Order: sequence, then structure tokens, then C-alpha cells
Amino acid sequence: MSGDHGLSLGHDPDLDHDHDLDLAVRLLAGTPTHEGRDPLLLRRWAEAAEEFGRRMTPDPAPVRVVERDGGLAAGLLARYRSRPPVVEVYVDTVDRAERLITQRGWRHWFPEGSVLAAALAHEQAHAWLHHAHVRAEFKRALGHTALRLGRRRLYAHVAGADELAAHAYARAACGLGRSPLLLTEALAAACSESEK
Amino acid sequence: MGVVILLLMAAGVAAMLTRRLPTAFALVLLAVAIAFAAGAPLTGKNSVLDTVLQEGAPALAATMIAILLGSWLGKLLEETGIAATLVRKIVEFGGDRPVFVALGVLAVSALVGTVTGSAPAAMLAGLIGIPAMIAVGIPKVTAAGTILMGIAVGIPFELPVWQFFSTALELPVDTVRGFMLKLFPFALVAAVAYVLVESRRRGVEHTWSLTSVRGESKPRSRRQLLGDAPWYALLTPVVPLVLALGFELAIIPSLLAGVLYALVTTTPPREMNRRLLRTLYGGFEVAAAPITLFVAIGILLAAVKLPGAVDALEPLVKAVSPQNAVLFVLVFTLLVPLCLYRGPLNVFGLGAGIAGVLIATGIYPATAVLGMATSYNQVFGVADPTSTQTVWSAQYAGVSPQQVMVRTLPYVWAVALGGLCVTAATQL
Repeated sequence: MSGDHGLSLGHDPDLDHDHDLDLAVRLLAGTPTHEGRDPLLLRRWAEAAEEFGRRMTPDPAPVRVVERDGGLAAGLLARYRSRPPVVEVYVDTVDRAERLITQRGWRHWFPEGSVLAAALAHEQAHAWLHHAHVRAEFKRALGHTALRLGRRRLYAHVAGADELAAHAYARAACGLGRSPLLLTEALAAACSESEK
Repeated sequence: MGVVILLLMAAGVAAMLTRRLPTAFALVLLAVAIAFAAGAPLTGKNSVLDTVLQEGAPALAATMIAILLGSWLGKLLEETGIAATLVRKIVEFGGDRPVFVALGVLAVSALVGTVTGSAPAAMLAGLIGIPAMIAVGIPKVTAAGTILMGIAVGIPFELPVWQFFSTALELPVDTVRGFMLKLFPFALVAAVAYVLVESRRRGVEHTWSLTSVRGESKPRSRRQLLGDAPWYALLTPVVPLVLALGFELAIIPSLLAGVLYALVTTTPPREMNRRLLRTLYGGFEVAAAPITLFVAIGILLAAVKLPGAVDALEPLVKAVSPQNAVLFVLVFTLLVPLCLYRGPLNVFGLGAGIAGVLIATGIYPATAVLGMATSYNQVFGVADPTSTQTVWSAQYAGVSPQQVMVRTLPYVWAVALGGLCVTAATQL
């Protein structure tokens, strides 16, 4: 499916948007705690999370960036750790992603060097989403109620939504033409094919 | 002859450590070898065939039934969505604070741990709990350890374990329950400390994972579409505990009451028979491995209690067993690592035989051996990289069992120290 999208030069922006949203819904559906959830509800949460991510304005806090190998074996492109704050970028995965973008003719969506930039932005968004006031706003934006007492509502955490917000922020911050989830899916497929 | 028996035990440990033989088979062979070495006749009174094999095999029958019922209840918790609902609610309420989610999953693991043990307990809490913790930013090793530390909090209230120690050490269930209540605070404090300290030390981590977008989801089964279990069904794990602890009801009826409660609160009457049978048969599959082990332990206990074995081992074991309370705590705390890797102090292996020797030779009162064995069990249940729950939790989280052992061992070692201190203070 992703391959078809990549090869069709005269792509339809609405179809692309729908496909990106489908990927987001699939991420949520595959996240534990969402087993058996209504797909329409997941779609609503995915839209809200992406909208929130697009509008995020994280502080440019200084974070140490470390380059590592072994990302393809571990199935990782980047990792953020809070203690001490560090972003690990898996350069082998980034290189593979860049080659894949060229192979699929996706350069107009993911410019040269954008994978590394998106990885850093993605992890920066995760760090930002751990601030208490951002978490509270994010839960309100998603609107999932855990408990209602009269007019008071306690908003619930939606597992996996922060991942969508981080991807949406990375896309907006790096000016990507498509969701980084498209690249994630294609990378996973390419890695599993090369293992066979 | 005592030296020969000890050499046989060492050979048995070597066979288990090198995985040349499954633990249960090694224990049975060891029992037969010990019986012959102790001069037991082939048949008749105190013999290899009639006493060790015939009487030993069903000696822990009550434990086996309790294990089966616990596994049955565990299957019901899984099939009715009770365990999954508990974890889901915890994530919804506390998901933006990873440490709250970890503490909540710890509590669920503890509840599940009171019902059933080993890998099934880890699966019940961990299947959703581990990825849910990882999804909110808990590092993988911490997530796997949280499940195991939680199950260890439940172990002092695990009714099949009460039954095991009661039968194996020939102590009343009341005595076992009394000591378990003293052990519980140590397990609880260590588990909460593990979550708080490790969360603080390691913080949170998030990954851009290539596997985050799965394939198109398959059509859901009817059970998956049933959604959350009702709130009153979530009390199921507490039911056997309240009956056994609060009302001092016997263990098997308490577990049966739990099975019935889970069934009645989650299942329409027309589906009850099928669900009961399906989960019971599933429970047999889960219980097969521990029941096999308990058959073997019963045989080993019968062998080490033979008069010839007792007479041969008494002087040797007496010579190396500390009688002073401080030395008792010091020596047996230092020996804690010997219950790892299927070592000689693993209470669900050769450790049961050693416990039998210590009691049969009268070196320590049975209650002191109980304290020692249950303290070691708290270590084995969490940190042993060869125990099924540790292997499953670590691999499911995507880390190695050794990583989990290194991270959890200091905490459970402290629990063992606490248990041994209580034992020395109250039983020696």
C-alpha cells in the first residue's frame, strides 16, 4: 500500500492525508489498552493527537545527542532518555531510511537530511509532553473521560497518543510532506524483507 | 554415606544447572539414587518403590489441586478480561505519570500473584501491563522487574504456596499463614522502593520504533469486543484471599469461591458451563509444569526423610549449620545466590530436599526452615533468570533475564534478609 503511494507521481493530497491518518489509527489500535476499541473513536483520538502535535511549541532545551549503531537490529530509529537527558540517534537506521526515501521516490516529501532532523524533533516533542501543564492540555484535547462526577470530569490518558503527537510535531517542525509514520511503516517492511 | 548423598545432590544440581535434565526428572533420579545410597530396600517399609515413589509422588496432592485451581482462576481472569480491565483502568487514570502506572501495575501483579504464580501470573499482568508501561515511558528492564516484584508481593498470600509449605514441611496452614503475614511487609516495601527508586534513577524513555505501526488489525473475536469487565468483577482476585485470610476458610474452597465469583460476575448463565470447562482445561495446561515439579519434590522429600538418609546426613549437616541467631542470618543471607540458576537452595528444586533434611535431622525447628525457605522463595520468584516468570517477563519486554536479575536482586536480597531476621528472632 505504501509502495503504491510512493510510486504514483500524481498523488492526491486528500488520499495521502487519509492514509497518514490510517497509519495513526493503526498505531493506536496496536497499542495495549485499546483492544476492542471502536475504530471511529481511535480515529477521533488520532486526529486530536496530531492536531495537538502540530501546534506544539516545545522549548528548545539543550539535550545531548549521541549517535549509535545497531538500530536496525533493535528496530529503533531514535530513543529519548530523561535521566540524564539524552537523545540517541541510530545512524544505521537513519542511513537506511535515507536510501529508502530515494528508492521510493519520496524525496519531495522527505528532503535530504530530514530523517535525522525529524528524529531529533520527535524526541524533543516527547520530552516536552512530560511537562505537567502540557500533559493536562493534551488530555483535555483528546477528551477521553476517565471519571465524571456531576459537572466535573477527570480526563483519561490515551496510550499511544503521545507518539502520534510527537510524529505530528516532527512533521510540522521539519516541513515534511507526509507523516513520519509512512517512513516507519516502509522501513519496517524493508527490514523484514531483507531478513527473509 | 552422608558424603555420597551430598555428592549425589551436587551431581543433581550440576545436571539441572547445565540443563542436561529437566528439573523434575533430575529430582526423581536424585531421589532414587539417595534412597539406594541410604540403603533402602527395593520394596516394603521405607523402600525405594513403596515409600519413595508410591507414597512420595502424591504427597503434595493438596498443593497440586490448589495449583490447578489457581491456574483455573487465572484462566478465568484472562478470558473474562478482568486482568486486562484492571491494567487498562490504571493506564487511563495514571498514564501521564509513568510512576503511577508502574505502581498500579505493581498492585495488579500483586493481586494476580495471590491467585496464581510463575509464568501464568506474569502473563496475566504483563501481557498488557508491560507494553502499557513501556508506552508511557517506563524503561523496559524496569517494566519487566515491576511485574516480577509485584508478583512477589502477592506470593505471601498465594494460597497454593501456603498449601505447599504446609504439606512439604508438615506444618499447619495457620503457622504458614502467620509467617507469610510477617514476610509481606518486607516484600511490599521492597517492591514499592524498586518502582520509586528505579523510576527516579532511570527516568523515562521513548523510542521511535520501527514496529510501532502494525499491519491491518485482524477481525476481533467476540471476547475481545466484550470490552471492560464490570467493576464488581475486578474484585475477583481478592475473594479467595478474604475468605482464606479473613474467614480462615480452607484453601481449596476459597479458590473455588473465587472461580465461582469470576464466573457469576462476568458470564451470562447460558455460557457458564462452556466457559467453566474451557477455562478448567486451559488451567490443566498451565498447571502441568508445576504439578510435575510437585510430584518430583514429593518423591525427593520422601527420599531424604528415609531413616538411612537422615542418619547419614545428620552429623554432616549439623556440623555446618549455624545455631547462633546472628550467624544464622549472616550465613543464610550470604547463601541467597544459591537459590538462583536452579541452585541447591531453590525451594522448588533441591532446596525442598535440603529443607526436608534440616527438619528430619532436627537441626532447626520446622518453623525456622519455613522462614528460610519462604525468604529464599521471594528471591527465586523474582530474580532467578531460569524461572519461567522471569524469562517470560524479560523476553516480552525485550531485555535479557540477566538484566532483570541484576536490577531486582538487591531488592529481593533485602527481603530475604528481612525474612531471615524475623526467623532468627522468633523461631531460633
